[in-house]
Amino acid sequence: MITDTLYTEALARIPGPGWLADGRRLALGRFLARGLPNTRDEDWRYTSLEPLERQDLRLPDAGADTVLAIEDYPGALMAFADNRLIWQDTRLPDRMLGALEDAEAPVRHSLGTLTQDSALAQLNLALWREGVCLRVPAVYRPRLPIFLRFAAVQDGVMLHPRVLVVMEPHADAILVEHFCADGGVPHWQNAVAEIFLKPGARLTHIRLIEGGEGATHTHLVGVRQERDSQYRGLTLGLGGRLARQDIQAMLAEEGAEARLDGLFVADGRRHLDHHLRIDHAASHTTSRATWRGMAGGRGRGIFDGRVLVRHGTLGADARQDSRNLLLSPHAEIDAKPQLEIYSDEVRCGHGATVGSLDEAALFYLASRGIDPATARGMLLLGFANQVMGLADDAGLRDWLQPRLEAALPKQGEVWT
Amino acid sequence: MLTIHDLHVSIAGKPILQGIDLAVKSGEIHAIMGPNGSGKSTLAQVLAGRWGYEVTRGEARFLDQDLLAMAPEERARAGLFLAFQYPMEIPGVANVQLLRTALNGLRRTRGQEELDAFDFLEYVKDKLALLEMDDALLYRAVNEGFSGGEKKRNEILQMAVLQPRLALLDETDSGLDIDALRVVAHGVNALKDADQAIVLVTHYQRLLDHILPDFVHVLAGGRIVCSGGRDLALELEEKGYGWLADEEDRAELHP
Repeated sequence: MITDTLYTEALARIPGPGWLADGRRLALGRFLARGLPNTRDEDWRYTSLEPLERQDLRLPDAGADTVLAIEDYPGALMAFADNRLIWQDTRLPDRMLGALEDAEAPVRHSLGTLTQDSALAQLNLALWREGVCLRVPAVYRPRLPIFLRFAAVQDGVMLHPRVLVVMEPHADAILVEHFCADGGVPHWQNAVAEIFLKPGARLTHIRLIEGGEGATHTHLVGVRQERDSQYRGLTLGLGGRLARQDIQAMLAEEGAEARLDGLFVADGRRHLDHHLRIDHAASHTTSRATWRGMAGGRGRGIFDGRVLVRHGTLGADARQDSRNLLLSPHAEIDAKPQLEIYSDEVRCGHGATVGSLDEAALFYLASRGIDPATARGMLLLGFANQVMGLADDAGLRDWLQPRLEAALPKQGEVWT
Repeated sequence: MLTIHDLHVSIAGKPILQGIDLAVKSGEIHAIMGPNGSGKSTLAQVLAGRWGYEVTRGEARFLDQDLLAMAPEERARAGLFLAFQYPMEIPGVANVQLLRTALNGLRRTRGQEELDAFDFLEYVKDKLALLEMDDALLYRAVNEGFSGGEKKRNEILQMAVLQPRLALLDETDSGLDIDALRVVAHGVNALKDADQAIVLVTHYQRLLDHILPDFVHVLAGGRIVCSGGRDLALELEEKGYGWLADEEDRAELHP
């Protein structure tokens, strides 16, 4: 059972630094006033966090020394096990990639400014321990992709990873966040990333969500884009028991472009909910949301995308495309792209489909001598590949491919 | 190689094929012609093992095996190939991946070693050249965004890679301009050897100017109503299919 006392005690146990303390107390107050979101909130009507309240969750023990083996990452890695930093690549200077507690003054003031509306983000702001600040200097383009790995190790831990990214003008970087767990330990990771893109900056942001049967994952990404900046996000929901992804992109100045790609595999009893909010607040801004979902077993997948084009803007260009495969009679997918347009001069469109594996395509492959299991695997992978372009662009296809293949619904569970 | 005896096939209870007899030997080229709706494509699909067709009577044997009892992938591995009238588009699956997976599946069945990516490219290179296809088509998604002609060439490329014993070409000439038709026909002719047989399913005789059949069969109302040599195709070209209606009426009256 999670109680208010649990949160307050957790806050009391968090040591300095002083510049954060007031903010943490205020945030906790705001969270406690609202509580965990429930299905009475329109935005949460598909996903209940009530099972979480029945779990016996706690902050990690300070003294635990189990360390989950770290696999190879093709880039510069900062790795956390529960809320402890266990590895930091030394190839990048601290001033660029470091602990959020140590963030410099101008960056500090940005903390929490993009995600004020969310109760979960307030909870994160109050209780985060594993914090990362990435600040890429103007015009700089790090050669290596930057990997952040957040792993849950102890049974029943509640973790609140927090990432703050500032891309100075014309900086360009690749950031990968990897969320995972030691086997099937029950835990809750409630992550927040705030991303500021200055004029002409570009960030390629890949998020890989794994974690076993016991994983609950809630994650809010807030992005604020200035003139001619590009945010390119790829969300891969490949694991966990329940995951809720929110992406809020604010296209604040002209020429800003957001590309949001995503894939989810809701297999077994997995419940994966994705909410995109794209705000075209300036003229001549562009957004593309392309999502592919598949659900097998008793899985449930949700795509809820909302594009807002504000009054007084010109030439917004927005597209949403959500295509989904149902692989079992007990699986369910809801696809809900929405446009809210308050401007006359726009180019906007959306499409959503939910279907099953194409019988004619299966026969076509069979007629080439390809056995049914391989044919199904090829079609599922082909379907997933439609949104893997950013993985190719980032040079991370080889790293992601085996994880993707392992996560595809197994043949016995496939239903056409 | 292929023997079909008294084959009856229905779709959703509706009879389509009503007693097909056909024998195809190694090295032969057969053309099956007929008007739309005569059952030509159904015959090709049933032989390839398409789901959803009900064989109500008769049998088909391929290389001394009971063809109709085999799964579609088993038929392909035994050496049967169907070039589709409407090739499927498969987004996200690269052409080269389909070709290599299919070929290696076949090679495993034959007890041959699988080809790695490098050896496969060597293997496929001259086949692409034969069909005047650009290498880039290997890396595009299967048939996605291909022109009509590119799709048909791609079917023949698959045939060239898989080297079947029996190739069924279903309306391979439809949607091809005359240059593409020549390339495809040249490809088929170049691939053909004495061990192979080809069955062309076609509405028009123009493909038969380029791929010369040994036998021509006319399918109407689910039956082969007459068979002959190449001359029959020319006669059909001249007379059209209209006269068949009379033949069919007679068949109905005197079965």
